[in-house]
Amino acid sequence: MIDAATPTDPTLDSLYRDHHGWLESWLRRRMGNAWDAADLSQDTFLRVLASSQQLADLREPRAYLLTVGKRLLSNFYSRRSLEQAYLEALAQLPEESAPSPEQRWLWLETLQALDELLDGLPPLVRRAFLWSQLEGLSYRAIAERLNVSERTVKRYMAQAYEHCLLVDW
Amino acid sequence: MRSAAASPVVCGEEREVARSAARWLALLESGDASDQDRIKLQQWRDSCASHERAWQKIQQLRQRFSGLPANLAMATLDRPAPDRRAVLKGALGLAVLAPSIWLLSRQLPLDVWRADLQTSTGERKRVQLADGSSLELNTASAVNVDLGVRRLTLVRGEISLNVPGAAALTIEGPYGRIAVSQSEVCVRLNENDCRVSVVSGVVQLQPLQGPALTLKGGEQISLKASGAGPISAFDTLLPGWRDGVLMAQNQPLGDFLRELGRYRTGLLRWEPALETLRVTGSFRLDNTDRVLSLLAASLPVEVQTRTRYWVTLVPSKTASPKKSA
Repeated sequence: MIDAATPTDPTLDSLYRDHHGWLESWLRRRMGNAWDAADLSQDTFLRVLASSQQLADLREPRAYLLTVGKRLLSNFYSRRSLEQAYLEALAQLPEESAPSPEQRWLWLETLQALDELLDGLPPLVRRAFLWSQLEGLSYRAIAERLNVSERTVKRYMAQAYEHCLLVDW
Repeated sequence: MRSAAASPVVCGEEREVARSAARWLALLESGDASDQDRIKLQQWRDSCASHERAWQKIQQLRQRFSGLPANLAMATLDRPAPDRRAVLKGALGLAVLAPSIWLLSRQLPLDVWRADLQTSTGERKRVQLADGSSLELNTASAVNVDLGVRRLTLVRGEISLNVPGAAALTIEGPYGRIAVSQSEVCVRLNENDCRVSVVSGVVQLQPLQGPALTLKGGEQISLKASGAGPISAFDTLLPGWRDGVLMAQNQPLGDFLRELGRYRTGLLRWEPALETLRVTGSFRLDNTDRVLSLLAASLPVEVQTRTRYWVTLVPSKTASPKKSA
């Protein structure tokens, strides 16, 4: 949280003062929910604070805030859709293989982290990577499923691994 | 692999290292690696600490995947894009926004005659039916609507139905049938019973066992497989959910948390010692994390968040004087 009592960058201070209300109402219109919008707008300022962007150099502060805010908004929705997909998949499991409640939520936590990690990969690359990691498919089998060459699959996999190495987790 | 023969001392940039590690692994997994390649890979890993670090990081990543049940993880991570899901559901003639978001005072026109409506955990939905009646679904609820035979089937959860007209709508539940006309009623399906609360007007009940009953505004009853329980006064705090609030008046904390848990995804647990603490207040349901913070601020409890989905309440360690709730 941005605490008024701690010495903060004066530029951030004025950025917050000038644009916080505007950003929050923009988010509220998009989300139709005041609490989530307030949380997300706070998160947006935290991201800005944590980024290396020189605040004093910002020509269009609102455009910048909106870029960050939109990204967070899309993360927010994708997390919701992930939760939904997970709960539906859980409900499909046969009774005898039902995991303990703790296990269910630990898996979800891991899935969310992985989902964020894979975010930004092209769909085919992502799918090839998931087939390889989760189903243990060989590159040849993936190539057949995707109807591409094995060489392409190798390139996809390298692309996915490189992406994952460059993202913090 | 061109970087394999790189000089052993100078480390490349982070991106370069990541690219090399990724290509090495892909080569290995493709089955095309020769013995010569394996030796080169070992040399590459040994040549610089950052190379080995990248290699280990990828191995950890592979382990994280291998710890997950494949079918569950595949269904979750390879799900259709969110907008596509919304389009599919939209084809039903119902606008469905992102799941589990409270739709505050949003009116959804329902001009189809038959529909299966449902809400996910934390979501609420209000639907205007073609005959002028309005139906509201609380969290984690499902109801099938068939206006052709003027029947609603409550599958799970809780609904509220207001029928202004004289033509009755029937709510079917597993423990009986409720006829609603010129009245408003809340019906909640629990594990072993179904609670019917009349907000206004008069409703006719036909329990599974026993004679028919008439219930009027301010009265409630519990229907079970064995028949109807006694009529009691209707607690007007209960339908607060329709306004997005959870109200409590000197309520045991355990009961309050069980109720709150209906609106949260994940595990909510508390130590038995907290069961009998008392809660009073009205809490907005659209942010249950906030409700927990409020509890921690006003009661001698501490919120321990193990993960986003696993929250436990424990007695606070500091024996600070109890602030008034």
